[in-house]
Amino acid sequence: MLLQLKNIFKWVQQGGQRVFLLKDINLEVEEGEFISIMGPSGSGKSTLLNVIGMLDTFDEGEYDFLSESVHTLKEKYRSNLYKEYIGFVFQSYHLLDDLTVEENLEMPLLYKKIKSSERKALVADMLDRFNIVGKKDLFPTQLSGGQQQLVGVARALIGKPKLILADEPTGNLNSQQSEEIMALFKKLNEEDGVTIIQVTHSEKNAEYGSRIINLLDGRKI
Amino acid sequence: MFNNYLKIAWRNLIRNKGFSILNIAGLSIGLTVFTLIVLWINFELGFDRFHENQERIYEVNNQYDVEGEIWTWNSTPKAMAPAIKKDYPEVERVSRYFYDTPFLFSVDDKRIKATGTIVDPDFLSIFSFPLVQGDISSVFNDVNSVVITETFAKKMFGDKDPIGEIVVIDNADTFKVTGVLKDLPSNTEFTFEFLVPWAYLTQKGWDDTHWGNNSVATYVMLKKDVSFTDFSTKIKTLRENYDEDSSDMVTLLYPYSRTYLYNEFENGKEIGGRIDLIKMFGIIAAIILIIACINFMNLSTARSEKRAKEVGVRKVMGAPKKHLIYQFLGESILISAIAAIFSILLVLLLLPAFNDLVGHELELDFTSKWFWISALAIVLFTGLLAGSYPALYLSAFKPSAVLKGTFHKADTLITPRKVLVVVQFSVAIILITSTLIITEQLDKVQNRQLGYSKDNLIYTFLEGDIDKNYELIKKELLKSGAASSVTKTSSPITESWSNTWGIEWEGKNLEDKTIILRMIADEAVVNTLGLKLIEGRDFDLQKFPTDSTAVLLNESSVALMGFKEPIGKVINDNGKKWNVVGVVKDFVFNSPFQKIEPLVIEGAKGWFNVMHMKLNEANSTSENLAIVENIYKKYNPEYPFDFEFVDGEYAEKFSDQQRTGKLATLFTLLTILISCLGLFGLASYMAENRIKEVGIRKVLGASVTTIVTLLSKDFLKLVAISILIAIPVSWYYMSNWLEEFDFRISISVWVFAIAGGLTLLIALVTVSFQAIKAARANPVKSLRTE
Repeated sequence: MLLQLKNIFKWVQQGGQRVFLLKDINLEVEEGEFISIMGPSGSGKSTLLNVIGMLDTFDEGEYDFLSESVHTLKEKYRSNLYKEYIGFVFQSYHLLDDLTVEENLEMPLLYKKIKSSERKALVADMLDRFNIVGKKDLFPTQLSGGQQQLVGVARALIGKPKLILADEPTGNLNSQQSEEIMALFKKLNEEDGVTIIQVTHSEKNAEYGSRIINLLDGRKI
Repeated sequence: MFNNYLKIAWRNLIRNKGFSILNIAGLSIGLTVFTLIVLWINFELGFDRFHENQERIYEVNNQYDVEGEIWTWNSTPKAMAPAIKKDYPEVERVSRYFYDTPFLFSVDDKRIKATGTIVDPDFLSIFSFPLVQGDISSVFNDVNSVVITETFAKKMFGDKDPIGEIVVIDNADTFKVTGVLKDLPSNTEFTFEFLVPWAYLTQKGWDDTHWGNNSVATYVMLKKDVSFTDFSTKIKTLRENYDEDSSDMVTLLYPYSRTYLYNEFENGKEIGGRIDLIKMFGIIAAIILIIACINFMNLSTARSEKRAKEVGVRKVMGAPKKHLIYQFLGESILISAIAAIFSILLVLLLLPAFNDLVGHELELDFTSKWFWISALAIVLFTGLLAGSYPALYLSAFKPSAVLKGTFHKADTLITPRKVLVVVQFSVAIILITSTLIITEQLDKVQNRQLGYSKDNLIYTFLEGDIDKNYELIKKELLKSGAASSVTKTSSPITESWSNTWGIEWEGKNLEDKTIILRMIADEAVVNTLGLKLIEGRDFDLQKFPTDSTAVLLNESSVALMGFKEPIGKVINDNGKKWNVVGVVKDFVFNSPFQKIEPLVIEGAKGWFNVMHMKLNEANSTSENLAIVENIYKKYNPEYPFDFEFVDGEYAEKFSDQQRTGKLATLFTLLTILISCLGLFGLASYMAENRIKEVGIRKVLGASVTTIVTLLSKDFLKLVAISILIAIPVSWYYMSNWLEEFDFRISISVWVFAIAGGLTLLIALVTVSFQAIKAARANPVKSLRTE
């Protein structure tokens, strides 16, 4: 098992009352799954994704990731854990505007203490694989949305993660670009065995996955 | 990793040109001012600190209790040095230093006037003024030997070897050059061009053993193992064995290394001196640097939203907080390094002007390792200081918040930034009020009624044959029409050289030890100097030969002595009786900043040093001077004609305060400039951050004016708070400063009104520029971006 959430609660205090963002979430994810999280706005999809990605904390419950209990880990170990095993893809790509495509891809490797020559090789591989060698010296603003997201996915993959978390990865793309990205996800999942959890609004995109989780007001339904 | 940081930092700089320029400009100006002041402070602190034996050198001071107040002064009797040498085995060396005296040197037909003095042979062993030629132990063996500086040697002998050359001093005595001194460095209080042994003074009969005549400086050097505390107690009572009249006067050893910086005494206690000025400028340097750093902090955090995404992404990619802090600090150090390079250029550019202003020869010494070490230290310090807050602030962002796009500051002008702006503007306002007050005070003193007429008034010293031929010179001057009136006095009208508390008068309380200034004049003193006679008459030896024992009082003296009808009264001074023949209006004799002290002008039975003449106002000054020079050449042919304009000498009295005023103005302008750069940057980011709000308001019908008001209001509020903080601080500080002067302005409310108004205006212009730009933008554009 890749990860397991047990009775996860997350809340904020608002005017003396607890407003629950996540309520009693239980989830088991096996390696190689492709899961889509769905639900209306404010149902807690992104919060859940952030909790899984360890970017956000929770108030109650247990979270085991690769048999480490995340809820007992210190911040530093947690960040080591997600840095090692998780890649993130965002709706608005979140590439660094000041870095070229090549440098954006290299960035996560910098934080993993990988030698320069090895970094170069990994980046070259990735550029090759995604067919963007010709774009390596361009800055993100010089690319189309679809191309930017392609770089975003490549960046998420470069650290060879076990799990990719994608928060509405096609939200800013047109339908053709969307399809390309989803096809890419499917291929990664099937051919490389990468586990993927995506948040999406689109039924069509959700179908690419093997399992759908529906959320409403922080609760799994 | 490092490369990546550098790359990002560099691209950030290039991409945000406006931000970079504001930051670098602000920091460069701050660093430039800081460097200039530090150079000056460094120079001042190194003043006279190069003497090898400085820890063992002491200046002999006297302390005396005058009516319960302890006076301290540093001139000593000529007889003291031999007494110290005889009685105290703890003393290794001792030397007297006669006051700096101008002498005329003649070699063949060359005549050169130079300033030097007479010292004991130990002088060169006490102080480290190295000889380039000659032997330290024997240069003063002969009475008629003279040691000269390299520059002076060159002036007199050109390239010839000066050793063994013969010079004639003051047309009287023949001297042999026995030593050549390395030129004195600029950071010493000594300014002599030559030294002559004390034996010469004895030979001339100028030596005396009066313990009441305190006129020379005495320096001692203690033996290596002598404890200063023990010895200073022992030497206190030195005078008891030598002089009954001054037996209760304390002999005090004052560490020589402190004389330049801490030379002011009050009631027997050191109260500072030049060190106060140094501290003040040190504080100003620090404040200006901090203000420049505050700019950096404000601008960096204000544009934090732009960098928030980067922080989020990097954190998600696994960057530990530590790394992000390093990255931001690295950026600020890079900016401070760039600013440092600009500031070095600026310093090089400004140094000549700054040197003129402070009157020193400061320079950047690129060859010194200390220069590079301190430059590096300053760059690191500035970078860390400026970058610390932004680094901590930025690196603390939570990626889950910033990446989801929900990251928006509720208040666009958050509290720490407000505080920083208030600090900046408080300092700016304090500096503005200080500058206004300094300028006003200077104006007031400069426009003070002098009580004499300084125009067309010149004086010369009675050197060479002038005294001997005085009557002839005077007659010719008056006959030629170049001078309308001539008088001989004991000192120039701009300097008081003599004072006493020994004058007695009818009804004097014998305990009264008020100091009375003393001046001596032969005749026509009122007329020549343009004093205002209140009653009585001027000295006139032709009509009243007894005027040689007459005396003129100033109003303050009359008040002190309590004379109802002063004319005809007799006062007693120096064992002589003086008849009061006139009263003159108080005039400024010493410092124009202080109150006017009681003064007596005694008749021709005294001594003379100076000759004043009023030039004929009907002729041009150059015509007059040409005639005067001819007459002087005729009666005093050996000496070059040397004179001073009284108005020029009087203006000298303001040089210190004027310098302070100019520096204050300069620093004020720079502080305002730096603060405005910061405010401008803040305003532009504020306008950018609130662009959506502005768009919505415009769509809902707000006019440009209301939006400009809305955007400017917040900033103006901060400036208003600064005004409230700055007023009491500057009032307190400047009242203290004014305390120094008897003759001073009272601080008026207007100063604060002007300073406050000016600051508000400057801030308004700076902010509204951005506010108007934001308010006029098309709302459709700004709303579409969301």
